[in-house]
Amino acid sequence: MRRILSSVRDGRGFDIVLVAFPLGFLFLMAGLPLIYNVVMSFQEVDMFSLGTFSRPWVGFKNYVDLFAQPETLPILYNTAIFVVGSIAGQFLIGFGLALFFWVNFPGASWLRGLFLVSWVMPGLVVGAIWNWILSGDFGVLNFILKDSGIISGNIFWRSDPHYSLYAVIIANIWLGTSFNMILLSVGLSGIPGDLYEAAELDGATAWQRFWTITLPMMRSTIGAIIALGLIFTLQQFDLFAAITSGGPNNSSNVTQYWAWDLSFRQYDFAKGATISVIMIVFVMFASVVYVRSTRHEVRG
Amino acid sequence: MAIRKFAVLGALALAGVSLFGLSAKAEDVKLTLWSLDKDIQPAPNLVKEFNDQHNGITIEYRLIQFDDVVTEAMRAYATGQAPDIIAVDNPEHALFSSRGAFLDLTDMIKNSKVIKPENYFPGPLKSVEWDGKYFGVPKATNTIALYYNKDMFKAKGLDPNKPPQTWDELVEDARKLTDPAKNVYGLAFSAKANEEGTFQFLPWAQMGGGSYEHINADGAVKALEVWKTIIDEKLASPDTLTRGQWDSTGTFNSGNAAMAISGPWELDRMTKEAKFDWGVTLLPVPKEGAERSSAMGDFNWAVFSTSKHPAEAFKALEYFASQDDKMFKNFGQLPARSDISIPETGQPLKDAALKVFLEQLKYAKPRGPHPQWPKISKAIQDAIQAALTGQMSPKDALDQAADKIKAVLG
Repeated sequence: MRRILSSVRDGRGFDIVLVAFPLGFLFLMAGLPLIYNVVMSFQEVDMFSLGTFSRPWVGFKNYVDLFAQPETLPILYNTAIFVVGSIAGQFLIGFGLALFFWVNFPGASWLRGLFLVSWVMPGLVVGAIWNWILSGDFGVLNFILKDSGIISGNIFWRSDPHYSLYAVIIANIWLGTSFNMILLSVGLSGIPGDLYEAAELDGATAWQRFWTITLPMMRSTIGAIIALGLIFTLQQFDLFAAITSGGPNNSSNVTQYWAWDLSFRQYDFAKGATISVIMIVFVMFASVVYVRSTRHEVRG
Repeated sequence: MAIRKFAVLGALALAGVSLFGLSAKAEDVKLTLWSLDKDIQPAPNLVKEFNDQHNGITIEYRLIQFDDVVTEAMRAYATGQAPDIIAVDNPEHALFSSRGAFLDLTDMIKNSKVIKPENYFPGPLKSVEWDGKYFGVPKATNTIALYYNKDMFKAKGLDPNKPPQTWDELVEDARKLTDPAKNVYGLAFSAKANEEGTFQFLPWAQMGGGSYEHINADGAVKALEVWKTIIDEKLASPDTLTRGQWDSTGTFNSGNAAMAISGPWELDRMTKEAKFDWGVTLLPVPKEGAERSSAMGDFNWAVFSTSKHPAEAFKALEYFASQDDKMFKNFGQLPARSDISIPETGQPLKDAALKVFLEQLKYAKPRGPHPQWPKISKAIQDAIQAALTGQMSPKDALDQAADKIKAVLG
């Protein structure tokens, strides 16, 4: 008895308690809902059976039905474009800004902080503002583009099926850029300055220093940020609700918005859960990348 | 954050309960009522007046948001915590009635001196029916008609007292009124991919001889072709596809659209914002003398079948119905009753509009009723959007919708 007690106080038992507590917490708060969601995707669920567990088991019927629907593949394709477009835009602009502020001109840190405002704003507010900016007849964006002579007629960002998805991507890039910039700034400031001094003495150009020092040293940060970006863009729902509602004709619909639409607008909870399960697979993949990329981090 | 919200809610609920406990006598029957009405709208005020009568029944009011009405009610019903009375949107009514969640009120209505089926407009009444029985009482009603800017009619040489009566006239007038140089579109309406799109399109389909069961009828295809003409020729803003009725009519109020299709809920804002002479006319029909039709909106009262005090709950509904005559004056909403004549408000534009809407209400048809309405509606929305974006022809789009609806109807 005493052995066990002392082991809990200081020894293997203590380690086990330390591990068990977060694991139990994770299981309760994330694991159970996840399992519940997977179970639901194999059942037939409507509003009235939502409160019970004894629902008809339909096996893979939901999955089969889902992929038989004509809109499924376009929506998955849209999701891929949305994720790739958003992450590429957020990362490139974020990296550019981070490098810019790294130069450390007067007021740089102050300005960098201001950039975070976009990240702090609630998605629905951002969506409402972009809704006005992108509006076809009186939108600010069209006004600027027309006045600078880039376009001759108004582009109906929200209502033209060729543009609607890109309208949301533009808004999402704006929303996520500052977060990318801050994380990348942290990564940049972690690179020891003497590396650059040594390289400069050896005659390396700025371009060579960027490719041979900055990028390799940032590898784990970049991996983490892209994985986080994947998770955040797959979670992005508010902008779709505020700007296009997935329309017109599903041209800007993505899986996360579709899952909500099926569950809470058409009350087909099983299909909604089925889409979520498909998304979980992708997010799991991103999580593995994230965990692997942060594994090499040196902790002081 | 969520925890704090619940704590506040809990404290409020406790405060509410204790207040009611103090004011209500020990033997009072307590009812709960859920509705989406805010404090300037009918429900909470009716509840307050009802409680002030001290007739041994006390109603506890709870406000729910529009988007949450169905999900909240379902969850509460599934877990046995449903309220006694609820206000539910009319196309969702059948979903509850068909599953036995609402109480059959047919016998109570038969014996009632206040609520008489013959006093209601046929459309709203039909929305509370299921299987030939009454599962609720219409709370209020609304419909859509055509608003038009008389000043713009004059400016373009059109007779301001002769608004378009047929689809052809509507398109023709819209062509004349559209003025891209001044940022003016001929017409504003909503083809959004939600219930609003269905709400606006279904009357057109019905006027053309279609219905949700026959959404690909020739007349309905014609209706969608007219819509497509309006969008393709830019007689209405391309944003019509993603904009709701409230925002679309906003462009009418600001003088950027010469006509608008919307309902009486716009009247108060329009009297305030529109700086021009405007009028309302009945929705144009396919051909002169063709059958009229319109959409029917707004909520119904219902009693949950799990209520422990159905008789008292019905008494409350009787009281609410007895106050229907004050509804337009106090809250600007239209009672679903054909036996009540609404007194004038003193504002000539509003009173003239009211007359048109009351006339239009006679042709209002409910959506459904069908327990799977959201799926039927979704099929119609998809067809509208596919046709208007040019990805399918109106005929193909509606054929596809008809197939989807057939699968739902079984």
